[in-house]
Amino acid sequence: MASTPQTRIWLMRLMFPALSFAILFAHLLPLDTLPRGWAPPDLILGLALAWSLRRPDYLPTLSIFFTMLMADLLLYRPPGLMTMLTILGCEFLKTRVLPHRETAFVSEWFSVALVITAITVLNRTILNVTNTGQAPLTLSMIQMIMTIGIYPLLVLFCQSVLRVRKLSPSEADAVRGR
Amino acid sequence: MARDRSQREDYATPLRRLLIGVLCLCLFAFFIVWRIDNPRVERFRAKVVDHVVPNMDWVMAPVTGSINLLRDFQSYQRLSEQNQELRSELRQMRAWKEAALQLEQENARLLDLNNVRLDPRLTYITGVVMADSGSPFRQSVLLNIGYRDGLQDGWAAMDGIGLVGRISGTGKTSARVILLTDPASAIPVIIQPSGQSALVSGDNTISPALNFLENADLVRPGDRVVTSGDGSVFPAGLLVGQVAQDRTGRLRVRLSADYERLEFLRVLRHHGTEVILDSGGLIVPDPGTPTPRERPEDLDTSSEDQPSNG
Repeated sequence: MASTPQTRIWLMRLMFPALSFAILFAHLLPLDTLPRGWAPPDLILGLALAWSLRRPDYLPTLSIFFTMLMADLLLYRPPGLMTMLTILGCEFLKTRVLPHRETAFVSEWFSVALVITAITVLNRTILNVTNTGQAPLTLSMIQMIMTIGIYPLLVLFCQSVLRVRKLSPSEADAVRGR
Repeated sequence: MARDRSQREDYATPLRRLLIGVLCLCLFAFFIVWRIDNPRVERFRAKVVDHVVPNMDWVMAPVTGSINLLRDFQSYQRLSEQNQELRSELRQMRAWKEAALQLEQENARLLDLNNVRLDPRLTYITGVVMADSGSPFRQSVLLNIGYRDGLQDGWAAMDGIGLVGRISGTGKTSARVILLTDPASAIPVIIQPSGQSALVSGDNTISPALNFLENADLVRPGDRVVTSGDGSVFPAGLLVGQVAQDRTGRLRVRLSADYERLEFLRVLRHHGTEVILDSGGLIVPDPGTPTPRERPEDLDTSSEDQPSNG
């Protein structure tokens, strides 16, 4: 009884890098070498945000660190920047887990949308300040809006398939008291 | 029990904050280092990619293959239509083939007449495209050949017909090709027949823009665009594409390479364009030869005004 939640926690901690790796793999498939006029949603970011609002203990900061850094390196992004912003965004949401316990999904979505917008804006600002060449504004905007739009689906996927749910207060106490 | 818990929290929260702060600081420092000392970090990235992506190749290849198969299958639906198109194209091609054969013979004759030796050092290595950049913001592909095969940064990558991009970042068994459509790509070109030089710079669209044209009036849509070899990065004379005009009247290049399916790329070995450094030395006779030279004895008067071949 005592070991089962523990193994599940570790399983889920491994699940995030595994899922991210699968997403990266799909991105890297050499299917589209033509430049596209649109950008797909940033699924890894959405997943990280959804998990850190639900079960922060499934998503240690180091796991975000390594996964996002890997994504930065493989996807040819400026290394480290997106990782830093994602960690900051997730930590911000993790501190808001308690007040969110009772609130409706819409307000959660709203705060996630705020975080995603902040990440995009900060990313572009820092790239501008350091004078790094970057993608056209429309592409970033499309990606941001797509990420916000797909967030409910990601949450649905997390809750129904992966069973990453918010804890009830008693369970939360049990986890905390470990 | 309750006190224990609260104490643990008290220790844990500042520690966590510290950890997050340190991590973020490290990441930001990494980003700044990347910005300042780009080549070293890019080499590191190439090494990481070199370790990761070739390991995925065994599953990537079948997945890509089957998806492509499915796409091909979809195109069977308009098979008869396609067949008609192909027939009419084939007829046109036959005519072109005749013309090409005649031109080839003529070309061979002219080359023979001029005693031209085409550059023997322009050999190539062919690589298979393993992965693309994976992000909509960058246009690049990964090849399965690396510095083990002698690849160097800056070499040109072509498909069968036209220029595709330039090598940027080599690992042991993988190399990244920055496509001409990438925003970071800029290639010096010359536009024939007017001889205007320009820069082809990518902007994340299928046809990159022509910049720094001296006189745009001399350039017409349909002109050939070839690399000029300026800056000694690229060999000169590689076909890039044709000039085209977009709706806003801006000149762009319609690329000759087939970007829809990049599968095999040939990377041209290029060892730098030779540069003439000095303005030429004074040509002096060998030491020991007397100046002026003695007049040969056995010359008759008719060849007096010819230069002596001593």
